[in-house]
Amino acid sequence: MLSSLLGSENSERILLFILKRDAGYAREIARFFDATLYAIQQQLEKMENGGILVSKKVGRTRVYEYNPRYPFLTELKALLEKAYSFYSEEVRENLEMNRRRPRRKDKPL
Amino acid sequence: MKIIAEMNEAELSAYVQSHMKKAGIEVVLSGGSAVTIYSESKYVSKDLDLVNVYAANRKKIKAAMTELGFQEEGRYFTHEEATLFIEFPAGPLAIGEEPVREIVEREVATGTLRIISPTDCVKDRLAAYYHWGDRQCLVQAKYVSHAQDVDLEEVEKWSEREGMLAKFEEIKDNLI
Repeated sequence: MLSSLLGSENSERILLFILKRDAGYAREIARFFDATLYAIQQQLEKMENGGILVSKKVGRTRVYEYNPRYPFLTELKALLEKAYSFYSEEVRENLEMNRRRPRRKDKPL
Repeated sequence: MKIIAEMNEAELSAYVQSHMKKAGIEVVLSGGSAVTIYSESKYVSKDLDLVNVYAANRKKIKAAMTELGFQEEGRYFTHEEATLFIEFPAGPLAIGEEPVREIVEREVATGTLRIISPTDCVKDRLAAYYHWGDRQCLVQAKYVSHAQDVDLEEVEKWSEREGMLAKFEEIKDNLI
């Protein structure tokens, strides 16, 4: 939807993924969209350098989220929300219906 | 001219800024080193954040820094004589959702230092406290507020515009 504006399809994927999940790491974003890990990592780094995203290490994983201090954040999110409404129901459901509640260690189900 | 090894934060910043200006690149000191300068070194930062105000091309910045003897190491620039790393965070120069309007200029031994104002420095630190609960930044805001003439009324109004008035009320006694 916005790839011509954002410069790449992966930029749009990353921004939408984090918009809907609040945070994300390269491998899970790449897996979700069936994109190459390297391409996603490159875009994440680019957006962090641009001040749009921030990251922190959680264990051995680098987790990215929106930079709450990015001055165009409100407007960017509004644009992404509109673009998101044009996505297929399947993509929207898969992005939003992920497990967020805790899972106890060794739980069988 | 002082040698780089003997320059303090303000002098090194002004030295780099003057060179950048000649190359047509506008950079303003913000972040932790602004706190160092305004807190009279109660807090010491390890890097200089020179915000790339008008999104100058990275290659242009690298060329200008190379002329000063700096090397690019990832997102930073280092110099064999300098203990401080230099970073050029992407612009625009903003505190929260608002553009920074006032730039303070100070003449130092190596040129003109261009730095965010003490009031914006406090806001900048509080933004990190408000959004991430970073208490180190709250302490830094307190250092600056105690050492400089800070417009706390403006900080309060800004906090309100950012939707953080309740948090400001909780911590405002730290700033007085």
